[in-house]
Amino acid sequence: MSNGKTVKELMLDVFEFPHIPYWFSIRQAIGIIKKSLLTKEKCLQPMAVLVFDEKYNLVGTVSFKNILRGLEPRFLKPTSKAQGHVEDDSGLSLLWDTLFNKESREMAEKPISEVMTPAKHFVAPDDPVTKAAYLMVHNDLALLPVLENNKKFVGLVRMIEVFDELSNNILEGRG
Amino acid sequence: MERPLDREKSQKLYVQLFELLRGKIETGEWAVSTQIPTEEELCKIYDVSKATVRLAILELVRQGYLTRQQGKGTFVCKRIIPEGLTMSTSFKELMLEAGIVFSTQTLAQTVMMPTDDIDVKLNVPEDKHIIYIKRLRAVENEPVLLQEAYIPYNICPQLLADDIASNSLFELFEKKYGIKITKITDFIELAYINKDEGKLLDMKEGSPALLLEQHFYAGETQVIYMRTIKRPERFRFYIELERKG
Repeated sequence: MSNGKTVKELMLDVFEFPHIPYWFSIRQAIGIIKKSLLTKEKCLQPMAVLVFDEKYNLVGTVSFKNILRGLEPRFLKPTSKAQGHVEDDSGLSLLWDTLFNKESREMAEKPISEVMTPAKHFVAPDDPVTKAAYLMVHNDLALLPVLENNKKFVGLVRMIEVFDELSNNILEGRG
Repeated sequence: MERPLDREKSQKLYVQLFELLRGKIETGEWAVSTQIPTEEELCKIYDVSKATVRLAILELVRQGYLTRQQGKGTFVCKRIIPEGLTMSTSFKELMLEAGIVFSTQTLAQTVMMPTDDIDVKLNVPEDKHIIYIKRLRAVENEPVLLQEAYIPYNICPQLLADDIASNSLFELFEKKYGIKITKITDFIELAYINKDEGKLLDMKEGSPALLLEQHFYAGETQVIYMRTIKRPERFRFYIELERKG
């Protein structure tokens, strides 16, 4: 049990992350990632672009993985979550040279809304950190949006801060 | 063989390069709509750094000679601005919509990063958050203009919560936020509308329309870049010039 720390004590400012509207193409999103994140001396991890609708409501997030999947439909094949030894996937190995070619350049014109991770799970600023941890673990999320009064997007919680906080409780025997 | 830049000259290299490239556009050597060489190619051709090339290109974009399209390249624009047409007048005469009763529909009021050449047009760093506003205005239910406004987020964050359907940005800036607009520059040209614009304005894709680009300044800082597409048959321009002093 956390010693009473709430989400608002750990959350990051939304303006730490680039914003785009859902109608931007994958190509435009790539340009923004390069300019806003990759060229900076210190890239904020996990890398994410926040996707909004026309009324500035958060509708999703975009990671490197989302983009690569969007550009190369053959990456859409489901993969095992376990990171054990994997036998050579001969069906795919024959294709390595054909991946990320002309077709991907065409795919880059698709709207980002087709490849983003939709924002479905939220916490409130006064929620306990343990609730954020629960949602992030159960839904495999690296970032969790924070909404004030179930509406206004005010911040983001990262797994790194959640882990740091909860692991301190264990090591220091708090709670 | 390209003419080399004169490194002995007191004039900065990027200014020399800017003038040289502008000459190519004005003489037609680089035709309208053609893609110009990449930054890397220009570095090699003129034996200058990437920073020099970038500054020269940015200035050409700012002055309307070139346009950048994200991921595609930089292209020569249709517009060539003759020198000596700078005019001074009062703001009232520049508000071309004066006297017309509009109904306004807000299509977007959100935050984004600058894309294509918006960073240059708004004169902000390319990783800066900006407020994006898109409005469709109609007269007697007929859409007549489509307006997009870009504002640096830090200038006026409260704008995201304002009623922008019934207030003009100009009035909100001046009356509500006390940001005094001290200069507006306007560029007017003929444009051909794209599919999305056509759908909103109830016009066929590729139809000619008036494009008005406006840059609003508060002192030295640009606070709004506005791009308005107007149905040509609904507007006429009236500008009154008054000699200063």
